Order: sequence, then C-alpha cells, then structure tokens
Amino acid sequence: MAEEKKRIQAYLEQLKNKVETQENYGGEITNEEARMDIRDCPECGAGRAYHKGLTACAYCGFVFMDTKLTDGVNIRKENNS
Amino acid sequence: MSGNPLLEPIHGITLEDYGAACARLGSGLSEDDVAKALGVELPVWQEANLLWPERMKQDATFHIVTLFGQYFGQADQHPKFSGLKASASPEGAGNIEKIKQDKDFYQELEVARQVAYDYGLDGAQWIVDNYGIPIGDFQIAASLWNDQIHRDIQADYAGYNQRQAAYQAKYQQLFAEKQGGNVADDIEF
Amino acid sequence: MFNLFNKKNENLALIEEMRTRQERWFVFLEKLEARMEEMNTAAVPELQKVFRQDTDPYKRAHIHMLSGLLGQINQMRNKANEVKEENIVCFMQEAEASLPSIISSAGSEYRRKLYTFRMACLDRHNVFEDKINHAISLLQGAAGEQDLESAYQEELAAFERIRDKFSCKQCGGNITIPRMFFIDTYITCPFCQSQNTFSPSTGARMVLHQARSLAEQRTAHLLRSYEASNPKNPDLYRHYLRCMFDEWNKIVPDMVVENEKFYERLINEYNINHHP
Repeated sequence: MAEEKKRIQAYLEQLKNKVETQENYGGEITNEEARMDIRDCPECGAGRAYHKGLTACAYCGFVFMDTKLTDGVNIRKENNS
Repeated sequence: MSGNPLLEPIHGITLEDYGAACARLGSGLSEDDVAKALGVELPVWQEANLLWPERMKQDATFHIVTLFGQYFGQADQHPKFSGLKASASPEGAGNIEKIKQDKDFYQELEVARQVAYDYGLDGAQWIVDNYGIPIGDFQIAASLWNDQIHRDIQADYAGYNQRQAAYQAKYQQLFAEKQGGNVADDIEF
Repeated sequence: MFNLFNKKNENLALIEEMRTRQERWFVFLEKLEARMEEMNTAAVPELQKVFRQDTDPYKRAHIHMLSGLLGQINQMRNKANEVKEENIVCFMQEAEASLPSIISSAGSEYRRKLYTFRMACLDRHNVFEDKINHAISLLQGAAGEQDLESAYQEELAAFERIRDKFSCKQCGGNITIPRMFFIDTYITCPFCQSQNTFSPSTGARMVLHQARSLAEQRTAHLLRSYEASNPKNPDLYRHYLRCMFDEWNKIVPDMVVENEKFYERLINEYNINHHP
C-alpha cells in the first residue's frame, strides 16, 4: 500500500514540476500596456492627416502602404489616400 | 469561385496572402515581419487577421477554409514570403526540409508530438527542442502529406495502423522512462 | 490446448481454466480501478492548485497537467484492452474451437458455460469502462471554469483608468480613446487630425479571444434548460443561441456585423436540421 502511494506521489510530483517549469510553445505571454504611436512620413516628415487617408503622404506622395483598403472593422475604404 | 464575396481581398490582402502569412507566423516570423512583407501597417494586418477567420466561420460550404489550408501549405512558393524565413539552426533547417520530403519522418514525429502531450509535455515545444521544427512547418508538412496518407490508409489499413502503433509504443516507452514509469506499470494480469 | 474431453464428455481442465481466468481478470481490473481512484484522489487537489496558481491567460500549465493525467488513465484503459484481447477474447476463440459439435449435448453445454464466462468478463469490463469515464470527467471538471467575468470586469475598469491618459505624438494634444479596442487601430487627433496608432494592452486583446467563452458562461443556464427539456425543445435552443450572440455582441460591439453573419449561418443550419 505504502509502495503504491509513493509511486503516485512521485508521479504527481514530477508531473507538477514538469508542467510548471517547462517552456510553453510560443513563449510566455507578457502583459503589455496599451500605448500610442505615430508614423510620420519618412521622406518629408509630415504627419498623416485623417482626411488625406492612410496609404500615402499628402505632401510628398510617399507610399505608406501599397494596398487597397476595404471596409473592415475600424478601417474603411475612405481611408485610402 | 470568382464572384464569391467571401473571397474578396480584405484591405488588399488575399486569401492566398493570408494563408502564407499564417504559415510564416507559425514558423516563427513576427507580426511586424509579416505585415511588412504584405506591405501594410499593423492595424491593417490585424484587421485582416481578424476578418479572414470570420469569413471562414461564415462559409457553410467550407470552401474558404479548404483553400486557406492549400495556401498555407504553399507558403514556400508565395512571392511575398519565399525569401523570408525565421532564423533556424542548421539542424533545424535540415529537419524542416526533411519533414516535407520524408513522409515516414513526418508521421513518426506527428505521433511523438501527440504522445508527448499524454505525458504532460508541451508537444509542440518538444518538437522544437528536439528537432527545431516550428509548428507552422509541421502544419505545412501535414497539408503536403495528408492526401498521400489518406491513400495509404485506403490501400493498406492494417499496415498503416501497425506502423502508427509501433511509433506510439516507441514514444510511450521513451516518455514513460523519462518520468519514472507509468502509475500502473506494476499491475499485471 | 483444452481439447481434453474425456469419455464422459467432460472437460474439467477447461472449467477450471475459465474459473481462474475470470478471477484473475476481475482482480486485475479491481487493481487498476483502485490505482486510478488513488491517483485521482491525490491529483484533483494538485490540479486545482496548479489551475489557481497558473498566471498564463491560457492556463497552459493546467492544460498540460490535465493532459498528462488523462494520458495515465488512457494508459490503464489500453492495458485492460490488451489483456482483454489476449487473455479473454483469444482464449474464448481457442476454447470454442476445441469444443465438440454444437449438436452434441456436451457441445451445447460447454458453449453455454463459455457464454456465461464471456458475459461475466465483458460485463466486468463495462463496469471498468464506466469507472474510467467517470475518472476522466472528474479530472476534466476538477478545476472548474475560469472566471472570465471577473477578468473582463477588470479589463473594463483598467480601460476606464487609461482611456484619457494618451496624447497625440504629433502635437501633444490630449486624446481620449473613444471605446475599448481589441486590436491595433488608428486614432485621429482631435486637434491636428494626425493619425496615431493605438495598441491595446494584452489584457484588452484577451477580451476578444475570450468573448465567446464569456458569452457562453453568461448564458449557460439557457443551454442547460434546453438540454434538460424532454423531448428536446428546439425553441429553447434558438433562444439560447440568440441570447448567447447578444451577450457576445455586448462584449465586443466592433464585431456585431461579423458575429451576426456567423449567427445566420448557425441558425440556418440548425433550422434545416430541426424542421419545423
């Protein structure tokens, strides 16, 4: 009886140790805070104004994104420059 | 196929782009890398990444999800991603190739991965630790071999089962030994 | 091996063999059951502890521990299946092949004995299988449900605390985040109209991942009342599904349009299968 108990205890011990110390695939999830950022035009330094769209610089024509925006969740097709 | 509104690109990102992007994410590329390869900024990528799965959920015919699987498997051929791979060790790079060339190698590791979970291990991580193969490449291999394996099963069901059982026994023994045996190893008929 | 029917058409060796085999089989299964119970008794509190202490939002330490324990239960199940195959089923087939013709009285008598043996052994195995299934659901249910509601309420409160704390990276003007976002999004500065990029916290992103599960937790009582209805009342299921989606939409209002398309698909499929 004592032998069986020891066997189970040893099994559980190593299982617990294994699951608590092993690396999870994709790594640990770090809690990141919300943050705000901006991307100015790398060519002329201008900011991106809302009514000029998201895809190109209104001043020098630099292409921020070479794509055609459609109606998504927050981004709409009106956001094409 | 044409005219299916569920196949329309989302912010210019096609299902083909999306399938390859997901495969590359699964192989260790960062979201930033993927967005850059697609020529979009993160908010645009994240919307596409949110909306493509929605399209799959809405499609009762499973057509979109089937195509997605195909494109996922063809990520290596996608022009926007073909030159872009996460850094892998030389051994890992060799195994990533091997799993796509060698069906037996794939089948054995697939069993090993599943058995690892039965022993409390993170199976995907075990594969990375021991073979350097990320889950994305594993899934690509799965999509490459699925048809062939399906044909094998139809041609020789018993043979297929026998090979699977042998792999299972091999890895059950390996993982059991590492944890000092199974709880009921001493109980005999 | 047991085809030793004597002149009186008796085979005492076979009778003895069936008796001892059945006994050994019962003892073997009892031992496995006792071990399984002992393992579960010790494992359940540990499993609960790991679940509570697991800070990973996906509770992966708990998932892997549970999967390891279920692996051991399955190992016992497979062990019993192998013994059943080798020592009960194969034995039965061999013994049956050794019997005299079925039309002889010994033939029919020993077939009856063999049948009784077979039923006793298989019934005992069914009891074992029931216990296996019970053990599995005990382990699966041990940790209980993740309290998604509290996590969600915490995120709502956290968002209220930070929503006014941002400023435009271009002109420095204050920006209030209009609503809770779950993915990166562009925010227009109300002063200079510049497009800023807002990245939500990890916690806010998790709300999107857990939204359906939380909606299901909130409406679990409706699903239970459908499941308790006898015969099953499809209207109760429809009611549950609608309410679940309403809750889901409340948690992630940005997803209403997409969620509703998904709802349409599910309800259509349900109606096709449960007409009228």
